Amino acid sequence: SFIQHCYQLFDKDRTQLGAIYIDASCLTWEGQQFQGKAATVEKLSSLPFQKIQYSLTAQDHQPTPHSCIISMVVDPIMGFHHMFLLKNTSDAWVCTNDAFRLALHNFG
Amino acid sequence: MRDVHKDQQLRHTPYSIRCDRRMKWHSEDEICITTWRKRKPPERKMRQNTQDGYTRNWFKVTIPNGIKYDKSWLMNSIQSHCSAPFTPVDFHYIQNRACFFIQDASTASVLKDVSYKICDDENRKICIFVNHSTAPYSVKNKLKPSQMEMLKLTMNKRYNVSQQALDLQNLRFDPDLMGRDIDIILNRRNCMAATLKIIERNFPELLSLNLCNNKLYQLDGLSDIIEKAPKVKTLNLSKNKLESAWELGKVKGLKLEELWLEGNPLCSTFSDQSAYVSAIRDCFPKLLRLDGRELSAPMIVDIDSSEIMKPCKENFTGSETLKHLVLQFLQQYYSIYDSGDRQGLLGAYHDEACFSLAIPFDAEDSAPNSLRKYFEDSRNMKTLKDPYLKGELLRHTKRDIVDSLSALPKTQHDLSSILVDMWCQTKWMLCFSVNGVFKEVEGQSQGSVLAFTRTFIATPGSSFSLCIVNDELFVRDASPQETQSAFSIPVSTLSSSSEPSLSQEQQEMVQAFSAQSGMKLEWSQKCLQDNEWNYTRAGQVFTMLQVRSGNQLTPGAPCPCS
Repeated sequence: SFIQHCYQLFDKDRTQLGAIYIDASCLTWEGQQFQGKAATVEKLSSLPFQKIQYSLTAQDHQPTPHSCIISMVVDPIMGFHHMFLLKNTSDAWVCTNDAFRLALHNFG
Repeated sequence: MRDVHKDQQLRHTPYSIRCDRRMKWHSEDEICITTWRKRKPPERKMRQNTQDGYTRNWFKVTIPNGIKYDKSWLMNSIQSHCSAPFTPVDFHYIQNRACFFIQDASTASVLKDVSYKICDDENRKICIFVNHSTAPYSVKNKLKPSQMEMLKLTMNKRYNVSQQALDLQNLRFDPDLMGRDIDIILNRRNCMAATLKIIERNFPELLSLNLCNNKLYQLDGLSDIIEKAPKVKTLNLSKNKLESAWELGKVKGLKLEELWLEGNPLCSTFSDQSAYVSAIRDCFPKLLRLDGRELSAPMIVDIDSSEIMKPCKENFTGSETLKHLVLQFLQQYYSIYDSGDRQGLLGAYHDEACFSLAIPFDAEDSAPNSLRKYFEDSRNMKTLKDPYLKGELLRHTKRDIVDSLSALPKTQHDLSSILVDMWCQTKWMLCFSVNGVFKEVEGQSQGSVLAFTRTFIATPGSSFSLCIVNDELFVRDASPQETQSAFSIPVSTLSSSSEPSLSQEQQEMVQAFSAQSGMKLEWSQKCLQDNEWNYTRAGQVFTMLQVRSGNQLTPGAPCPCS
């Protein structure tokens, strides 16, 4: 669904990730914050790893107030933990905030 | 060619080809410039004049997708691009379009030039169409001076000077107005405009307006009240015909403190009371009373957006006060969480909160698995195919949440090594993630260290500093590194950010206590601190707990006095 779409985009063409973010989006990558669609896409495009082998081992979603959804995705192989806050605006889902933590050494 | 004048109806199609040159357009938001210059204006103008009998020309201005912009922002933006001020008349929405009328040709051409000059916050250019039009409804059907006078007298009678309140309930059927060649139907633009004009002239400092029982089904006309009576704090729209809360957006420029909406169809469109309240509050953040009921205190967290912009190496970003708030909350939360009785957490959760737990996929198969206890509650979407279970395992309502939390194994969290990410702050909520480790303190896997990531979405709370609305917990085995570094710092230093240095007397007490109890200095100090430096009491508590736990207290072990 949304997550698959998002990661597919991440793999194929990160410049297109702009479509799921809005100007008010804010990405928190390993403690650093990137405000706005442009900054987010820039950061995501600049990441060193190219194609990623995903084996998402955990996913969970919850509804939140104001008809948003909070989603969590974990992948131990790449070692990351990614949280998204998704909002439904005019029939499309956009990501208003997300937080990403690489935890490469944390999986025993 | 007459159809352009059938305005105010849905048939108005600015894009229909009247130009000699057809301009390509992709979507409503992109390049669409009508080149009505190529039409035959002079003839048209003359025809229009004789048609209407008015010497002035009216133009209708249309902004496609105008509905998605805040009205005041839109009008101010347009105004700022115009060399001369203009007065928009009869601003209203038709489907997605925003429309209004203006009066003379020079303004019309200025406005036409503004098209494609204003950018919205998605960096899209706003286009503006300007077309000839008949006079707007409220002008065509303007109230006669005699009618205005009647209306003014009636309104005066209904005005309460001491409270600065105007009661226009059921205005149409006011005995003074009945049967007198005046029919004030407030749904009609001309009547609403006249009423607002009188308010502007005679009661500009109005504080309270009652429009109950006027069969209002839309608030387009009322939206001008924001300019005419900006101080209105109480608005009664009960017993009207408003179908959707979206209508309220047309008056959201008012800083309302009290609002009445009961008796409108929109009230039954909400699944429950709290959804209703929060939708209304979205529109009017400063609202204190809705339908006569007091609302809980609104939250306005003013976060300087420039602070969020700063990339920060720390785990935290955001203002200092928020940092403290979150830390304080986490300390309070985990001290109860680790205490053995999690019922105390009821105060931390919102009535309608959600909680779910997930563990990694492959962990489920391996045995002996310290995570096994969590498996039952794990709501990992990857493995959970049964939709019924999915629904079940999303714990909803604070009672259910605390019950399911109480069923989870007893823990001790290492708060000194947590990493907190604050990744979303809006004026009503805070999202933050806590990464850290905890130990299981009883049962089969006692002593094993597990790692967790817990994401909270919270709003301000009363008994706790935050009220949790969403709680998503992910638990996994800790890596050897994490296990080693965890719990290396004694718990007492957690609150030692600004520990006052001990007095001579206190230091002596600590030494003595340590010698007597056999505990390390830090633990002795903590024990004494917790008992307010009452040596005897600390001693009693210590002995009592020793007896109770039945354990030999080994030096260096955590103090049981906390």
